[in-house]
Amino acid sequence: MRRLRTAMALLAAAAVLPPSAVAAPGLSASVDRTAISTQLGRSFEFHSTITNGGPDTARGLVAHLSVLSLREDPYVDPEDWAPQRVVFLDPIAPGGSRTLRWRMTAVNAGTFGVYVTVLAQDPRDRPAPNTPTVDLRVAQRRTLNSGGILPIALAVPGLLGALTVAVRLRRRE
Amino acid sequence: MRASTAAAATHERQGAPGWVVVLARELHDLWIGGRGLLLCLAFSILVSTIAYLAATNEALNFLEQREALNLVVQVGMIVGALLTLLAGADAISGERERGTLESLLVTPVSRRQLVAAKLLAALSLWLAAYAVLVPYAWFLARDLGVVGTTLAASFVVGTLLAACFAALGLVVSLLATSNRVSLSVSLFALLALLAPTQLPGGAKQGWFADALLHVNPATAGEHFVNRVIISASGWDQELGWLVSPLVATALLSAGALLLAGRMRLGGGTGG
Amino acid sequence: MGAAVEARGIAKRYGSQIALEDLTFSVQAGEIIGVLGPNGAGKTTAIRILTTILAPDRGTFSVAGIPSSEPARIRARVGVLPESAGYPERQKGEEYLRFHARLFGHSSASARAVARALLQEVGLAERGRAPIATYSRGMRQRLGIARALVNDPAVVFLDEPTLGLDPAGQREILARVRALAGERGAAVLLSTHLLDEVQQNCSRVLILNRARVVAEGPVLEIVRRSAAPRRARIRTTPQHVERALATLNDSAEVQEAAIADGAAGSLTLVLAAAAIGSDDGALNAVVEVLLDATVPLLACELEGARLSDAFLALTEGR
Repeated sequence: MRRLRTAMALLAAAAVLPPSAVAAPGLSASVDRTAISTQLGRSFEFHSTITNGGPDTARGLVAHLSVLSLREDPYVDPEDWAPQRVVFLDPIAPGGSRTLRWRMTAVNAGTFGVYVTVLAQDPRDRPAPNTPTVDLRVAQRRTLNSGGILPIALAVPGLLGALTVAVRLRRRE
Repeated sequence: MRASTAAAATHERQGAPGWVVVLARELHDLWIGGRGLLLCLAFSILVSTIAYLAATNEALNFLEQREALNLVVQVGMIVGALLTLLAGADAISGERERGTLESLLVTPVSRRQLVAAKLLAALSLWLAAYAVLVPYAWFLARDLGVVGTTLAASFVVGTLLAACFAALGLVVSLLATSNRVSLSVSLFALLALLAPTQLPGGAKQGWFADALLHVNPATAGEHFVNRVIISASGWDQELGWLVSPLVATALLSAGALLLAGRMRLGGGTGG
Repeated sequence: MGAAVEARGIAKRYGSQIALEDLTFSVQAGEIIGVLGPNGAGKTTAIRILTTILAPDRGTFSVAGIPSSEPARIRARVGVLPESAGYPERQKGEEYLRFHARLFGHSSASARAVARALLQEVGLAERGRAPIATYSRGMRQRLGIARALVNDPAVVFLDEPTLGLDPAGQREILARVRALAGERGAAVLLSTHLLDEVQQNCSRVLILNRARVVAEGPVLEIVRRSAAPRRARIRTTPQHVERALATLNDSAEVQEAAIADGAAGSLTLVLAAAAIGSDDGALNAVVEVLLDATVPLLACELEGARLSDAFLALTEGR
């Protein structure tokens, strides 16, 4: 459901604007890394830069971080990956730029695409292009040993049960 | 004549202080009597079930695994607090109903010492519950890299909440006219304090709601553990959440000791 | 040496209800004083005040020479068997006594010795290691008395110690009560409904009614002072019983006449208050009445007045 909502938000953002309207011509977005490799559970960060190459001040811009799996599995919930995914930008003067730091935690293992979309608050404006996609690879590491819990789940109650019986028998004697 | 000989003696205590004697007796009745062990057994079965379900769900992502660990820890703390609350709620009203309170009140042990000993005995249930919780928490936390944090946070918050609820149970027990009333009121109070912890995150809005969450020791303690385990926040960042459990524990314990001095045989306090 | 218990003007109220009013009395060491009164007279309230469980609204008292301003010291010197004492069912008798001994400051070793000695004294040595849940009512009372003695008290308060016991059990408990005063030299306050046991065991009696003291002093003096009706027992031939009954019930000297248990032809009489002047006078009047009615008299004796008569006279309808 969340995946569908994300996709629809992106589509809606693209559909609202008539093709001829432009937020600020000359806007570009880039990232400092295009490939990240990490392990499950680790935190990482990258930076995206929005540059205003046009003649006018770019106002009302919103940067939005997205992450999706490049395979069918696993399901990705962006909320789990980054606590803050939306940044409202101050106006960018002509020739100026804004660099944003994005901090994320790899909560699933697999291959993912991470990108930043720049949207305009005014729906008449056409948003700037997305950043290039960051190729994110998260290696699996053992975090839950499903088989290993069983001995504990059985042993602890078992020991306590035996202790209870022993104490009761001793009292009876 | 033995009475006059005895009267000539100074009757100084040779043995342990009164509260130590009462505490030893309470611990003996609780643990050697078997009731405490049964409670721990039931607790371990509950935690085993939850931990097994959490650990064997391979569809969980890393964050959800932390949430699962947090769930096991929170259940442990809540049930531990429940056990101490029930022990506290039975402490005085139970003695009244069993007809054993009067015999205790005609000894040189002060009423405050009696109540203090009962409070400490109730806390032993939490300590035992924590000991049971440790292997599960360790197992679930080790590969998430949060063993130390989990064990420390659950011990600190769990102990504060256990002491807080044990004291609450004692206060109710001192005031109640029957054991049934004491247990009912105590349970209701616990549920009322725990209910907000089950609200979805979006429902916590506004300064007043936020203030309520900070003031309620149960929600404050839950929040602290959440932040430390799930969000991997530092302790120093979240220490503010521990203020209300600390204050509530201190106030309720002081209240119980104060009311103890005015304890009545038939329930309630007063001259 | 001062009194073992001294109470002056003690009063206690529960809301609008007066539980005690102006309770004043004293008890000496080695004395057994019976505390009597109908239900709700204030006996248990008095005991709870003197044992510092309740605080009086007015008045002062001292126990074992310790003023009421030092309740913890008083509690260290008294032993109490409450009226409805409960016992922890799962504990063993010896465990229970050891615990209470330690509450009174005995060390662990000393408490063990005291517990065993007391169990021996009250006849529970064989059952000391059994759970209290297996004890009979009488055994529990004996255990309660033992607990009241763990601190070798100067004053012992026993509230209805024979409640629920059979006659043999009652006799046994009362024998131990006498030993408390006689052998240990403790002052004993015995609160009970059994007037006969007070008459047999107590040197003095304190009678409460509706929160007030209505009589206090030696038993015989109380009985004499209260103008209690006298009783007599006569015996006639079985065939004259009916005529004797009719004659006596019609007589002004006799309040009530009834057939007695025991030997055939026996009758018991309650003499009318007006007839009581001296022993001889009352009995002579009865003999004359029967002779006038040609009822043969085989035996005739005056029974001593009883405490129960005095109690009823003092508390009935007031």
